[in-house]
Amino acid sequence: MGANGVDVSTGGENIEGQQPEPEPQAVTDETTAHDEGVELERTIGLVGGLAIGIGTMIGAGIFVFPGLAANEAGPAAALSFAIGGVIALLVALPASELATAMPRSGGGYYFISRSLGTAGGAIVGLGLWLGLVFAAAFYLVGLGHYVVAVLAEIGIALSLGPAPPHVVLGLIAGATLTALSVAGTERTAALQNVIVVVLLVILTGVLSYGVLDALGVFGRQTVPDTFFSKGYFPVLSTAALVFTSYLGFAQVATVAGEIKRPSRNLPLAMVGSVIVVTVFYAVTILVATSTFGADRLGTFGETAMVNVGRNLLGLPGAVLILVAGLLATFSSANASILSASRSIYALSRDALLPRKASEINLKYGTPHVALAMAGGPILVLVATDSVEILAEVASFLHLVMYALICVALLVLRRRNPAWYDPDFRMPGAPALPAIGAVASVALIAFMNAASIVIGVVIMALSYGWYRYYADDVRLKGDI
Amino acid sequence: MTRPSVLVPIQVLEGESLPEGTPELLTNAHVVLLGYHVIPGQTAPGQARMQFEEQALARIEEFEAVLTEAGATVDHRLVFTHDAQQTINRQIAENDCLAALVPRTLADLEDVLVAVRGTVGIDRLARVVAGLFADRDIDVTLYHVTSEDETDADVDVLLEGLADRLADENVDPDRIETRTDRDVKPVDAIADLAETYDVVVMGESDPTLATFVFGMPADQVADRFLGPVLVVQREPTDDE
Repeated sequence: MGANGVDVSTGGENIEGQQPEPEPQAVTDETTAHDEGVELERTIGLVGGLAIGIGTMIGAGIFVFPGLAANEAGPAAALSFAIGGVIALLVALPASELATAMPRSGGGYYFISRSLGTAGGAIVGLGLWLGLVFAAAFYLVGLGHYVVAVLAEIGIALSLGPAPPHVVLGLIAGATLTALSVAGTERTAALQNVIVVVLLVILTGVLSYGVLDALGVFGRQTVPDTFFSKGYFPVLSTAALVFTSYLGFAQVATVAGEIKRPSRNLPLAMVGSVIVVTVFYAVTILVATSTFGADRLGTFGETAMVNVGRNLLGLPGAVLILVAGLLATFSSANASILSASRSIYALSRDALLPRKASEINLKYGTPHVALAMAGGPILVLVATDSVEILAEVASFLHLVMYALICVALLVLRRRNPAWYDPDFRMPGAPALPAIGAVASVALIAFMNAASIVIGVVIMALSYGWYRYYADDVRLKGDI
Repeated sequence: MTRPSVLVPIQVLEGESLPEGTPELLTNAHVVLLGYHVIPGQTAPGQARMQFEEQALARIEEFEAVLTEAGATVDHRLVFTHDAQQTINRQIAENDCLAALVPRTLADLEDVLVAVRGTVGIDRLARVVAGLFADRDIDVTLYHVTSEDETDADVDVLLEGLADRLADENVDPDRIETRTDRDVKPVDAIADLAETYDVVVMGESDPTLATFVFGMPADQVADRFLGPVLVVQREPTDDE
């Protein structure tokens, strides 16, 4: 593998006089090695990597979006999910190649800062942090809806002051998750793996039944529908909306520095998780629309899948989906908070944020400042209760990074610096990464104007922060 | 005589230090001094490095100086990890360590109990014992718990063979003793007998279902014996 990592001598200092941490000496299958015999152990295997990717993604795509997407695009919502999956795959491939050449924490931020320079890195890095904050807020609102639905199932209607109950519950869940990440036990990773396995088992069961049902095995008529019942344009705007369901593979890259045998496990975990969730999404939408028809499905909102489960399997079906929905949105929110904290660490390591931001709590050994910088804004965003804006801004900020990941790959392939020695080389370059970059940017164009404005403002503020705080910091490798 | 390499793992930021007597015990060893720090999953190892590297390295270098002064050669490592066992196993493999020390305080160093399991791994056991204790005023007791399918003659051959080999490598034959027991559980017998010794040397067993449930015999002995235990490592296999 690219044993010596990036040939880069970072330099300069930020406004506080902090310099980027020196790069490690070597990257091996099992460690990242620094001077003086100091090593960082890699402890996440392939299963752990897949669990991060799938666990982050599956909450949104299956448990929050089907109703919303059907409402906007009709049965063609399935096509919207497929478009999202193709774009995700087009980006997962170059991201995998870059990750095997530079298996360091920070993922997309790291690739872009080292290949395109500090300005691009700062925009993407701060955007990644805030993109994950928006995504986590979106998952938490979804989680709130599921808790309300669970309570409704057992006959409790909540009334929690002036705010809608799902928002209050989302806030409580967000605060609890942040507190747990600061003071929690060490086994959160193992828990995440278990949750993902349980989820996949429940989904496979319910969906298999649903597919057989849709094929008429159980002798029931499915609801016929016109595929493009809402026209062609909504298919693309819905693709832009549901793209939030495909953000998780980039989170695998944010922990690239902790993945064992990165040259093998990173591509498998990133590409594998995208393929797995795309298949699940496609089948879910197929089953959901054939059960109710897109129009009725669209009226069920965020917890539409509960009705699908009930319709297929009665009360047990509803309960299964409710449990799965709680687990899925919980694990998505949890994974996003942790990834946001990792991005803050990567920025602070490179002096783009104050060193203080990645400080570790002496009592718990956890990065309490970074976790608070994730958890605090998440709570503010949950309170806005704007599911679609939250989802789109999260997608916007990720899509900017994805486009630049594709550009970074093209630049590195063209210049081919001596240190660039990825073990995994994506097929179809330069055409596929070029298409990936264009498609990522194009998808943004189909979003709500409000989402685009918020996204652009965040990018501009990120650039402003870089010019103010770290104008002098140099991160670009020898290209 | 080549120095046997011995891994000495220390949780350097948890207030663990080099236990008293360790430098004397390892004076003839090549010490791989592993300072490690276990961090929770929410924290990136690199994050812990940024904050704690200086402090941890300073402590390790302090221990390194003490070991070197006592006569050992020393290599140090500092590892930030989510998984201590994985880190220790990797260091043993990478540095080709013959033994790992369970570091504990040692008041005097007068006698050593060497638990001999069988012919498997006996070469490595001999290299550790001879390497550390040859030409020193230390009594060495070779101890074996005879199993049902072994004859006393088999055991004599085993222990005498080892005693001869140690004598060849300059362990004073007058200081070597052998001892056997029958019809006792090896772990209990070793732990009970160990109470009258300063140090225990024993081999690491192959993992079996029983070791999976009850833990490795070496760990069980280490849990009960309060002094230092040198765990001789298995021959590395290639398929890893």
